[in-house]
Amino acid sequence: MSEEHFRKIVESLVTLKDTSELMLDLAYSSLLLNSRELAQEVHELENYMDNLHTEFELLVLSSGFSPGESKDFLGLIRLGVVTEQIADAAAEIAETVLRELEPHPVLKIAIAEAEETVTSARVSEHSPLNGRTMKEARIADETGMWILAIKRGKKCIRPKPETKIEAGDVLIASGYAEGEDDLRKLASGSEEPEEYIPLF
Amino acid sequence: MNEWERIEYKPIPVRTLLVEMKNLSELMLDLAYSAALFNSKELAEDVLELERRVDTLAYLLKMNTMIAARNAKDAEDLLGVSIVARSANKISSAAADIAHIVLRDIGIHPIVREAFEKVEENLGRIEVSPNSALVDKTLEDLELAARIGVDIIAIHRGKDWVINPRKHELILKGDVMMVRGTLGGVRELRNLAEGASRQLQR
Repeated sequence: MSEEHFRKIVESLVTLKDTSELMLDLAYSSLLLNSRELAQEVHELENYMDNLHTEFELLVLSSGFSPGESKDFLGLIRLGVVTEQIADAAAEIAETVLRELEPHPVLKIAIAEAEETVTSARVSEHSPLNGRTMKEARIADETGMWILAIKRGKKCIRPKPETKIEAGDVLIASGYAEGEDDLRKLASGSEEPEEYIPLF
Repeated sequence: MNEWERIEYKPIPVRTLLVEMKNLSELMLDLAYSAALFNSKELAEDVLELERRVDTLAYLLKMNTMIAARNAKDAEDLLGVSIVARSANKISSAAADIAHIVLRDIGIHPIVREAFEKVEENLGRIEVSPNSALVDKTLEDLELAARIGVDIIAIHRGKDWVINPRKHELILKGDVMMVRGTLGGVRELRNLAEGASRQLQR
């Protein structure tokens, strides 16, 4: 296998794993916040994921491996299938929101009570995040919370390292419950954590 | 091993069951990926053990939601709960599939290791040296999740495994910790565990 082919398979597997986990976090967020926008995002990611997975399998199958290596390559294919299953599970969760099933109070409690939770915080004008790119803001390092999506007006943006954060943005994040307050403080730019905002 | 135990109805709040299913399914996924990454059959066995637990929880949750529904409105309201529980169960099965890859020696291609270094959330296997500042601290003392965004998902201690250690768990010298978190956080914890640094930077 050429070095380039190897690198392509690595990239593809990384994207599959990251996307499947993003979908799961977004799916739980969509339930917690009863947000059709987020659920729609999960739905669209599922189509993206289907294509990615096919590409990944084709890449693996076309690496020209010898019979002796086939077990290793089977392991790769299986890992790909796992990410696909996770994406499916996420899509099913989001589908309940798209079908306008009113989320049962038990669901909200279960998500909020879980060790890992999803939360949201609005960026104020005085926040050190205002005007910074995601890369500069280093939110995960500062608070332990991952930014899943940024709501800007009606739009839902998936953050890239060069995405600039603006005042008024609503950050949707997942992480350990302990990081929630830190994120809100960072977003509000004062020692007082921003109030929890029901978004939708 | 009583693999096919009969599952009897127990009145347990649906909320309790769902929280445990969600937590376990996510933990299992991390453990399973770690088992693959570090080629650990013991971890893989633990994942299978947890899968049986999630299966039991799923049966109990189903029975409890059925009993909770007294009319069409209740049934509609509870539909989402049972779908989310089913998804958690699916995730736990997916984790078990990874465990099977490890247990059946299907093989972990070097690509997997390469890929795991590039994913957003990093997994790490960290050994605690005797002169580390972590020794004899509880997880609660350290507050790793809040301070550096790192979670200890399992501790390998001699022949034992502590899966999902709770906050009162002590870290002992020689422990091997399976951790998950930001790249910077995992690196910081590694420095502490190896005794290269004495305290967290925040």
